[in-house]
Amino acid sequence: MSSSESPQAEYVTLVSGDGFEFIIPRSTACVSGTIRRMLDTSSKFSEALSGRCVFENLSGVVLEKVCEYFCYNEKNKDQTNVPDMDIPPELCLELLMAADYLDT
Amino acid sequence: MDYEQFLVVAAKEHGLGTGNLHFVHLFPSPEGVAGACTSPKTRGRVAAKFLAANRRQTRNQIRGPHSALTDFLASNNISAAQIHEDYQRRLREAETQANAEQQGDAEPEHAADNDEYEDDAGERPDERRKRKRKEAATLAKIKQSKEFARRKARRIGEPDDDDDFIAREMMRERSRPLPGQLENCEICSKRFTVTPYSKTGPNGGLLCAKCSKELADKEKKSEPKKRGPRTSRRQNQSDLLDGIVQDGALSLVEMCTKKVADNINDIEEFGDLPWQLLRRLSQILSKRRALTPRTLNLFLRPNLDFIDIYDSGKLETDDFQKIFTFMPALTHVNLRFAGQLKDRVIDYILDRNLKIKHLQLDAANLVSDTRWRQVFQKLGSQLETLRLSNLDFSLDDDTVEVMSRSCLGLRRLKLAHCWKMSDRSLQAISSLQSLEQLSLQLISETKTENLLELVSSLGSGLRTLSLQGFPLADDRLLEVIHDNCKVLSKLRFSDNSHCTDRGFVKLFENWSNPPLEFADFSSTRDVDNSNPDGPTDAIGLASNGFNALMRHSGSMIRKLRIASCRHISYATFEEVFGQGKSYPHLRELDVSFHTVMDDYLVGRIFRCCPAIQKVVAFACFNVRDARVPKGVALIGGLRAQDPILVQI
Repeated sequence: MSSSESPQAEYVTLVSGDGFEFIIPRSTACVSGTIRRMLDTSSKFSEALSGRCVFENLSGVVLEKVCEYFCYNEKNKDQTNVPDMDIPPELCLELLMAADYLDT
Repeated sequence: MDYEQFLVVAAKEHGLGTGNLHFVHLFPSPEGVAGACTSPKTRGRVAAKFLAANRRQTRNQIRGPHSALTDFLASNNISAAQIHEDYQRRLREAETQANAEQQGDAEPEHAADNDEYEDDAGERPDERRKRKRKEAATLAKIKQSKEFARRKARRIGEPDDDDDFIAREMMRERSRPLPGQLENCEICSKRFTVTPYSKTGPNGGLLCAKCSKELADKEKKSEPKKRGPRTSRRQNQSDLLDGIVQDGALSLVEMCTKKVADNINDIEEFGDLPWQLLRRLSQILSKRRALTPRTLNLFLRPNLDFIDIYDSGKLETDDFQKIFTFMPALTHVNLRFAGQLKDRVIDYILDRNLKIKHLQLDAANLVSDTRWRQVFQKLGSQLETLRLSNLDFSLDDDTVEVMSRSCLGLRRLKLAHCWKMSDRSLQAISSLQSLEQLSLQLISETKTENLLELVSSLGSGLRTLSLQGFPLADDRLLEVIHDNCKVLSKLRFSDNSHCTDRGFVKLFENWSNPPLEFADFSSTRDVDNSNPDGPTDAIGLASNGFNALMRHSGSMIRKLRIASCRHISYATFEEVFGQGKSYPHLRELDVSFHTVMDDYLVGRIFRCCPAIQKVVAFACFNVRDARVPKGVALIGGLRAQDPILVQI
């Protein structure tokens, strides 16, 4: 496959269960331990080869928030006094489950 | 009361001289005010107001003769001239209205072409002409002004760039009443005094104080709530005390967990939340005192085998019973501050034949000794962990004896702050040969012999030994530990004032035990106010003992607590944390109340301990400007407010 031969692509695609796609920089996606292991090229997972992770059990709304967190985390790297991200209360339980699954 | 007398009294009450009183004599009807003031306090205030107002006027202004009424009205912000004008105007209006009615609908179109000034509808034709002329002159003047040109330039191309429109707008602005004048409120139509703070209403008019406030409130509410952009300094300090010095964002799990805890009252159930998170949620909720009978329900899941409630203070007896009803598979039970856990809950547990292996109860003081004995007899064979604390009503020596006879498989035992335990309990515990972790903190004083016997019989199997509150134990105990304990990884021996430095040296020298991972010898020192420097032969872990400890355990030590070991010298610290020394695993260090500790030594500690995360240094008064590496929490110290972050 071409993508596995070339050095790692700069962007990866995260797909939610209801079909929303989020294209984000690889470094931000690797904030999540689960995604990092999925994309680890030595694993030969299909996700690593295609740079595309499908999360059947995450809805688009939740995955969007997760992506927002990835960027927020990247932005606040090595900073002190980081303000908390805004999480809508109705989403927090679902997001908590997603976060636990994604190991972030 | 006579009015004059009243004023004199009132003036005295308010520390005013009576010299000002002659002004008040002019007041036309004193009874009108004084009579209305019933309480002496109000009376004083009213009178003082008069006096103060009078004084102010005489000082600031020079005026012609005034009637007393005018003065009084002015002091209450009412202008007599204004009243007079208003009265005249009303008369005029009534007159014109009468005229207009007589004329009937003679000139309706006249009113229509000037709809902007409807409120002046009552004026006579000649007055109207005069006013129109004046207005035209003003408009012409405005049109020539610089301000007008500027506005026009700004608005070119917009639909309202009509000259007349702009000029009229400016004129209206000019004619807006200045502060101090009276105006009718646009919303409630009440008359009020214009102040610099009066707000402009929706149609450009001014608003009275009350309506202004309502408008401001509404604006404030509609504004998007400003979120604290930065965590406050207070929060930082609070985190620091918890040892949290973290760069970057919190993990998403932690953030969501907090958010869930914030909204716990809106949550019906957790769904299939991973069980690891339940424990964390229970911790957060307990810390916030939000674990109520309602929130408890969220944690009751029949398929789980553990329950951790870190603060059960708000739970009732029935709630405890409910826990055991809903969760028949329980093996781990951890209920702290379980004040309402009563005998009947224990009965219920025993009836249900639960397979509890790990039992931790705190402050369960309503459980009687009889029930404790039944618990040990019934569950004893399956219990592996038993941790009881803060029991002052029950758990006496007899009960502990029953426990030692029944719980033969016990591997971990912690009894802290159990008031009734004494020597016989120590003897009883000595027979529990399966123990691997033992932690005792007694309240009553015990004989050292019993403690020696306990350690010598159990020592060989113990991985953890924690002894607190044995102030009378002496060097013999250290010897027994040296001789018997071979597999300890955690040793705590604190609050003692008899063991000597030499005893500690002997303990660590040639000790066949592998290096300790956790060592706590805080507050081993003698306390004698008549001899503040202590005896020449140092008591407690002092220079030599500390040196020996670090030689023995330095390679593996992870947590070290030596607070208040006051005879460790500067030179010893310098040597222990000197060039070339390294403690690769040391993460937490408590050196509180070591007055010799200074910036240099703290710096040496940071250099010798690459893994260090937390240094507790309360009352180390020479630690002033220590350069704290990133990711390390230096707690205490003089300048706690702004730890300087540097990268080594």
